[in-house]
Amino acid sequence: MSAAFHEPTTIAEAVAILATEPDVCCLAGGQSLVAALNTRSFAAPTLVSLQRIEELRGLRRGADGSVTVGAMTTHRDVARADCFQAGQEIVPQAAAHIAHPAVRTMGTIGGSICHADPAADYPGVLAACGATVTLVNARGQRELAASDFFVDFLTTAVEPDEMVTAITFPPMPEGTRGIYEKFCRSEGDFATVSVALILGMHDGRCAFARVALGGCGPTPVRAPEAETRLIGSRLDDDDISSASNLLCSRAAPQSDVRGSAEYRLMLVPRLLVRALDRARRRP
Amino acid sequence: MSEAMTLGTSLPRLEAAAKAAGAARYTADMELPGMLHGAVLGSPHAHARIASYDVSAARALPGVKAVVTGADIPQRRFGLTVADESALAIGKVRYIGDPVAAVAAVDTEIAARALELIKVAYEELPAMVTPEQAMADGAPLIHEGYAGYPKIFDCISSGNIMSLARISAGDAEAAWSQCDLIVEDVYETQAQYHAYMEPVAAIAEVDAVGRMTIWSTTQSVFRTQACVSEALGLPRGKVRAISPYVGGGFGGKSEPGVQLVAAVLARACGRPVKVVLRREDDIMTMRSRHPAKIRLKTGARRDGTILARTGDVIMDGGAYADDSPAAMTIVLHFLRGPYRIPNVAFDGRVVYTNKLRAGAFRAVGNAQATFACESQLDELAARLSIDPIDLRLKNAIQQGDRWLGGHAVGSASLAECLTKVRVASDWDTRRAADQKATTTGKRRALGVSSIVYTCAYLSTSAVVRLLEDGTVSVATGAVDIGQGSDTAIAQMCAAALQLPIASVTLVRPDTDATPYNSGTNASRVTYMLGQVIAQAADQVRTQIFRHAADLFECAEEDIELLPGGRVAIKGVSERALTFAEISRRAHFQVGGPIIGQGSYVFDAGKNDPKLAIAKGTISLEHIGTYVFGAQVVDVEVDEITGKVEVLEAWSAHDVGRAVNRQAVEGQIEGAFAQGLGYALMEELVWDDGQLINPSFMDYKIPGTLDMPPKFHPIIIENPEPTHPFGVKGIGEPPVIGVAPAIANAIEQASGVRIRRLPLTGERVLRALVTRDSRAP
Repeated sequence: MSAAFHEPTTIAEAVAILATEPDVCCLAGGQSLVAALNTRSFAAPTLVSLQRIEELRGLRRGADGSVTVGAMTTHRDVARADCFQAGQEIVPQAAAHIAHPAVRTMGTIGGSICHADPAADYPGVLAACGATVTLVNARGQRELAASDFFVDFLTTAVEPDEMVTAITFPPMPEGTRGIYEKFCRSEGDFATVSVALILGMHDGRCAFARVALGGCGPTPVRAPEAETRLIGSRLDDDDISSASNLLCSRAAPQSDVRGSAEYRLMLVPRLLVRALDRARRRP
Repeated sequence: MSEAMTLGTSLPRLEAAAKAAGAARYTADMELPGMLHGAVLGSPHAHARIASYDVSAARALPGVKAVVTGADIPQRRFGLTVADESALAIGKVRYIGDPVAAVAAVDTEIAARALELIKVAYEELPAMVTPEQAMADGAPLIHEGYAGYPKIFDCISSGNIMSLARISAGDAEAAWSQCDLIVEDVYETQAQYHAYMEPVAAIAEVDAVGRMTIWSTTQSVFRTQACVSEALGLPRGKVRAISPYVGGGFGGKSEPGVQLVAAVLARACGRPVKVVLRREDDIMTMRSRHPAKIRLKTGARRDGTILARTGDVIMDGGAYADDSPAAMTIVLHFLRGPYRIPNVAFDGRVVYTNKLRAGAFRAVGNAQATFACESQLDELAARLSIDPIDLRLKNAIQQGDRWLGGHAVGSASLAECLTKVRVASDWDTRRAADQKATTTGKRRALGVSSIVYTCAYLSTSAVVRLLEDGTVSVATGAVDIGQGSDTAIAQMCAAALQLPIASVTLVRPDTDATPYNSGTNASRVTYMLGQVIAQAADQVRTQIFRHAADLFECAEEDIELLPGGRVAIKGVSERALTFAEISRRAHFQVGGPIIGQGSYVFDAGKNDPKLAIAKGTISLEHIGTYVFGAQVVDVEVDEITGKVEVLEAWSAHDVGRAVNRQAVEGQIEGAFAQGLGYALMEELVWDDGQLINPSFMDYKIPGTLDMPPKFHPIIIENPEPTHPFGVKGIGEPPVIGVAPAIANAIEQASGVRIRRLPLTGERVLRALVTRDSRAP
């Protein structure tokens, strides 16, 4: 068992503990951390449970159309939320793909992104949306872009005395659509490869494109040059194929039990085609 | 008659409410006074000699009560077919995780810390992780002492090959020349984990006179008793084995789990010791389905008459034999499939490797054999331009035929099974339709397979006692491992005595209290227990009739049984006597308590060497009573990703007679799920001897959402003539044909034949890419 267990009821209390305790770790929904403790693959530090901090829960739509999600909001609540609009609907879509109902009822968005498993569903979606993560410590608050938040495999930019309090998804251009395309071995598995796409079309041409990959490297993969290649095009086979190549050249997948690196690279263009088809077909 | 009250009805499981409410106690739930907690240290090397141990630091840790290594235990070996295992490794380790030492401590945390303090010095040896490596010239021996190990069969071995076996009939070599078409290929299957819900667990206690009691999750209390007795050198009667509720087995708990470790720890510290494996350790150190590589060749006439088949099988047995030679015998016995093929020759080799042992697993050996056979049958059908179901029907075994070696085939319903799934799935219309890719890149088609298996095996016994109040107590050593046999046994006994189910109570398996049963495996429990329940109930009924005839002053032949525990003179039911009245008379006045008993050993007769020649196999004299089934699957292949989904399935099985219809449907559905996992996703993967996916995060089994949205179990009831209730087994048969049916559907949908399980998205997509690169 852990050395000590704290259950603060406010963010201020929580960061005060993080500032003073030496070897300390936040416990959110416990869907990864508790499993790791149980397998003894992770030596138990002092745990700070965030379960009782009400101000960390819930979703809020801003006047500018952004949506801010409290770190302790469960996947189930995100999947059922109706405050996401044009393009942002990829967020509840992805939340609904996470594991099983039991995990979605306990697991939280903050816990998931802090675990930073690149095969998880949120990291790629945060990257595609250009979301920002709010971090707090006893001295203050800072905002990090998703691209700066995910540093490496299971590694984030969160400092030992910091905690994530919220994730903000900016508004997407009107008329855009978000599509989350996930390939996994069985229902509820982590993604072998996932594609997060936000697409806007105007007069038969691509007007807006954001693409990010999950399961294709230590952090979510984004390739601005691939998005540039799509924008302005009619999304013909050539356009998609060159954009896929640009994406793949940024991907660095590893081979594991979910699939070989080569298979993952085979899946990227195929899933991108499917995501683009779905985005254009949807009413 | 009133048999209908209970036989065939979907009565709820006797223990359903207790399990649903969490009130049923499993081994891990038990606590004994003064009980300690055990933990096991596994080998970090795949193959190494143990040079020395240093356990002083572990012993010195406060709270540690015993530390035991292979040097501290009786230097004895045990094993079902070959006595090659010991409670803890003696002299050398043979796979990563092989138990080397064990600790008993006041809690699991201290036990785990003590393991870290044990120092073992190893001299590493070359690890052989594939059968090919183990069979290579000059490969070091995994079991140097193999020749001297006791064995239960006429074993032929060589190097690391633990068993060489052959079954043949007719003259296959001569028959090839009469064939118009011959197909030949290699089929490969993988290691599958049993994934029972309850990981292995055991509690051992030694009493004041040195008698050992073991509570454990097991498929046979008698097998547990035998192994502990052999490993510790104790007479059978000095070991008592009990099973609380068991959370699944699927073959993986036929042989010992952690009972022996608990036993040596309990002996070392003189206190009860509980050992419960974590899921990761269970996956790493228990057993898997045998990986197999099968070269199969089948020849037929142009009209579809199959004339000859040969097969050459290599199975990976892992570090210990367990039941591997028996598994190979089963493979060879079923490679002919449920067909009349006059000329066959099947060769098998089971090889030791430095990996987890392989062992019994729901339809052991048959699942591997049938993947090869039923895949190849479709390949043959395609080449002959014959409908796959027509080809199967043309060659199907019929009532009155004999199995290889002469076993009688009782009710042979393959044709009926095939016809049922053909009609139910609208096969003829669907297969005729062209498989065009849809706009979403998916193609859909039907596939079929048929299966044959057995459900009678070895021996069993039962005692039925009439209690003073007229209810009955049934004692059998058959462990209900979650499949529902307790309910089936109670239903059969209730039917035989025309009692309500509530009047029948089962005694929990306990070697002190219940008579011998070999084990819950081979789909045998309902068939075998039905035989002895009928005998025992008949003896009880005869004694009741004797009392009734005495009281009514009539002949016994004039007495009849009435529903609800009553007897009367035939036709005079208004003057009935109750079982309670008769039992009280027996207990307190005349004759003594009424007890019936049944004993039965299945005997299929000696192999007829004129019909088949078997060499190096386990005896097949005590296995038989053939069961048949067929399934059709409606499969969708996603040609973008290679992912395969089953949208609908029909699975038809001849169960002779369904004792509990809902339980039979549950077996068919559950087995389909396990077969689906085997077909599509389950595979234990090793990297240089290290198992890399020992968790449910990395090793995936199908969940509810992976099952076909529409599933149709089809029960066929042609009463088995050799059985008092007409029943046959259903535990394993429905798992066997799932993988080849899916592989056959994939070929029909997408034109690619995949001969290696599991049929992962990656394997399918690679095959599709190859197909497209060949397209004109």
